[in-house]
Amino acid sequence: MSGIAEQFEDVRQQEQSAHLGMWVFLATEVLFFGVLFFVYSVMRARYPADFAAASRHTDVAVGTINTAILLTSSFTVALAVRASQMQAVRLTRRWLWVTAALGAVFLALKGYEYYKDYSEHLIPAFRFSFEAAHARGAEVFFALYFATTGLHAVHLCIGIAVVLLIARNAARNEHAVEVGGLYWHFVDIVWIFLYPLLYLVSRA
Amino acid sequence: MKPAAFRTYLWTWLALLALLALTFGSAYVHMGTFNLVVNLAIAVLKTLLVMIVFMDLARSTSLVRLAAAAGFFWLALLAGLSLTDFLTRS
Repeated sequence: MSGIAEQFEDVRQQEQSAHLGMWVFLATEVLFFGVLFFVYSVMRARYPADFAAASRHTDVAVGTINTAILLTSSFTVALAVRASQMQAVRLTRRWLWVTAALGAVFLALKGYEYYKDYSEHLIPAFRFSFEAAHARGAEVFFALYFATTGLHAVHLCIGIAVVLLIARNAARNEHAVEVGGLYWHFVDIVWIFLYPLLYLVSRA
Repeated sequence: MKPAAFRTYLWTWLALLALLALTFGSAYVHMGTFNLVVNLAIAVLKTLLVMIVFMDLARSTSLVRLAAAAGFFWLALLAGLSLTDFLTRS
């Protein structure tokens, strides 16, 4: 347990402020990613066939495995929060490490995918080549693909750093673990929407 | 905060993986526009599971729940207003 900063009445109020602060920040993050999802919707409505063709060039196996990895990491970070609430410091650290490791595996697989995209000339404005009939919308799709997955990866890197820092310095402080966990879950939620919109547009 | 039951988290995780399998499988069935509807419905369901159980909105104060809803509310508002442009262009 941590002490009480002087602006708070009691521990409970301090804890609620920390949670509220993180949720308000996450609301701004919803708007930040929301814009990209909005652009995606407008562009997909404009180029439906091109988006379908482009989506078939993503690696659905890696995308699905990565989704499973992130969902599992949300489970492990929830277990870290649970352990910290039971004052089990060593167990908290262990679950935080597992969470960070799962995040790293996700990034490694994403890096492999980016390399594949590069070899297949799918990077917009950089030797981009696609079957002529769908090239225009496909380039828009891949611009959005790299913008959204890239920003998601940046958030995940921050998440990994936050989780490791908490494991090192604040595993004893259950509020720190709870608030760090909220951020991790948010990054997971962004991917929950990216997965069907990027990988599953037209598989049937 | 009192810790939640381990079983709750375990079942939530298994439900999330089951929903992932469902969304993956459904993508290979020909349903036209309904493929998108099913995929988005499952994504919303997964998000609710993560927010209510893992992020503990089930036991949070009303103030925190309002903050959690605020982001989505404003996004809907801004997207709606922007669509009045995109949907009415000729």
